[in-house]
Amino acid sequence: MTMANLEKRHLIDNKNLSGESYFTSILHEAYAYGLLNDSEIENIQLQCIKFLAYKSERYNDGESSSIRVEAAESIMKSNLYTIGLYLKSLPDADCAVSELKIGKIPEMYQKGRVLINGKVHSAKHFYIMAKANKVTTLNYTYNATLDEGIGIFFKAYNPDYAAHEVMASIDYQLCNPVTDLTGVEFILKYLENLFIENEFCSYFDAEDIHHLLSGYDEGYKDLLINIFEQVVTATLGRTLANRSVLKLDSLKEEIERLQDELAEDDDYLIALKIRKATEKVLQELRITTLSLHRYIEKSLPRITSSIVNAVRTNTLGKTFVSPTNPDLKPKIQFLSSAKMDDEDYREFINELLICRYSSDKLALIKEKAKSFGDIEDLLFDARLSEEEITSVLDIFRDVEIAELIRRHPFKSSIQAVDLSETEQTLRLYVKSYTDQLTTERQERIFGLVNHLMVDER
Amino acid sequence: MSFEIMGISSALIRKQSVAELEKCNDLTVQFGLRLSQCDAVDLVETRNLALKDNGRIEFGGGVIEKIIREFCNSPYLSMPNYAESLHDLTDMFYYYKNETLDLMSDDDLIKFMKQRFDGICQGSLELLSGRELANMARNIRFGYTAEYSEDLACDEEGVDDDGQS
Repeated sequence: MTMANLEKRHLIDNKNLSGESYFTSILHEAYAYGLLNDSEIENIQLQCIKFLAYKSERYNDGESSSIRVEAAESIMKSNLYTIGLYLKSLPDADCAVSELKIGKIPEMYQKGRVLINGKVHSAKHFYIMAKANKVTTLNYTYNATLDEGIGIFFKAYNPDYAAHEVMASIDYQLCNPVTDLTGVEFILKYLENLFIENEFCSYFDAEDIHHLLSGYDEGYKDLLINIFEQVVTATLGRTLANRSVLKLDSLKEEIERLQDELAEDDDYLIALKIRKATEKVLQELRITTLSLHRYIEKSLPRITSSIVNAVRTNTLGKTFVSPTNPDLKPKIQFLSSAKMDDEDYREFINELLICRYSSDKLALIKEKAKSFGDIEDLLFDARLSEEEITSVLDIFRDVEIAELIRRHPFKSSIQAVDLSETEQTLRLYVKSYTDQLTTERQERIFGLVNHLMVDER
Repeated sequence: MSFEIMGISSALIRKQSVAELEKCNDLTVQFGLRLSQCDAVDLVETRNLALKDNGRIEFGGGVIEKIIREFCNSPYLSMPNYAESLHDLTDMFYYYKNETLDLMSDDDLIKFMKQRFDGICQGSLELLSGRELANMARNIRFGYTAEYSEDLACDEEGVDDDGQS
């Protein structure tokens, strides 16, 4: 062993230090290893309290000598976070302890404050870049987080008195979630990761990604899914099936073969195959960015475990999703004939309201209602009982029932809270009606519901 | 090791506060008012309790000194009720500091207390706390000025309705 290979031995293990509250954790560790004695610790505490007094006075603009405990605690956390940020920037924990021994708290705070400014600047830069290489997708959480949620941070962040807080609305979950960081460090790391995920997705057509996610779930726009993870998994699936990753097309034919092949391997071998496949993906896409290499590497354990799990449960088809194009599904356009004249409709409803017997009402409806629209309206206006509504629904054919369900889908009482009482009642009656139909007819009707075109008017 | 805020009340800070209160005697003695060392210690204790009860923390000298300086020339304070009044005024101050959502500065709040104590309350601490300060805190919370009065506002509206200036 040469002298050059000797590494300095550190007393404090970085793994024991908290990323969120670095300052207090380093004090604990230094005290535990005897690097700081009682009087040094007391001196640091006293300096922190004095500095808190100074910051509290500034917070009150010198107009109040006292401050709410919650506000003081928040300022204290902010101060310690800022000092911790400076200590983190030193080469190692031992240097940080030396600095704590000889340095002054206000000076360390000022240095931390400068670092925060730099990090806010970097975060803004990454935000612009992440927005520039944003994936064009329908996914709500992705769009809401990137377009608005993170933007709130730059408006609301208060580095002087709440540097440790993350004032942002971040719902979109990354493949590698940011943990053990807070304040501007959290935002910066989140944006860095998001930028890298976007960069990988930019190697594929937005439409291909849309079809892939539609294959995962047609309602993916409302799901809390990670787009990058789905795309990486899809590329790995294609590589394992010896297909090109440049196009995210269907793997339906190869899934069974892949399942049989992987089922014979143990977990370690599958992980090895996935690692090799990853290298192939990076080569084929000609990805040379080191940060993207590292990020994919970091994502592998998570993706590998889901693939292994899918192999063991014989559900590989759900993990290596086959893309579907929702626009290619056959569509039915439902056209109702023209509604009755308003004056005639009013007369018709008045007649129905004074009708005594249900059979008469039904006969009247059959005779006078001109279109599906008229019947739909009278279901609200004619104050019909459940039995009467059931008799009216009996007049309808499957496609008309399907259209009625599409227009008035049943919702639970919590979801239907914004609906009018009559609307809720009708939806409940329609549901009760369909529930008592034969399974065959129900299947036919719900099949039609999925194919009916949404009226854009 | 702890950075708990509520733990900050070292003996040193108390000793310093007591000494500062005793120093105020130099000013108040001309009005026939004086605090013994025991009174000063009790007042510092009251301040600490009031701060704790109202979820507040204070660094440095504190407010009692300011209250003494403002109230020492009040015609309603004399040696028999001096220390007791200071206890009540200290309690009141921190309570209404919270009730006004910290929107009023220390000096303005103490001035308001003194003005009402000497004026409309005629030395009654009950009236000061239960009526004047409570009204003032409500006004501040609703965005009015500290002196705003609904009666006065109605009177002014009535005058305007009659077309009188």
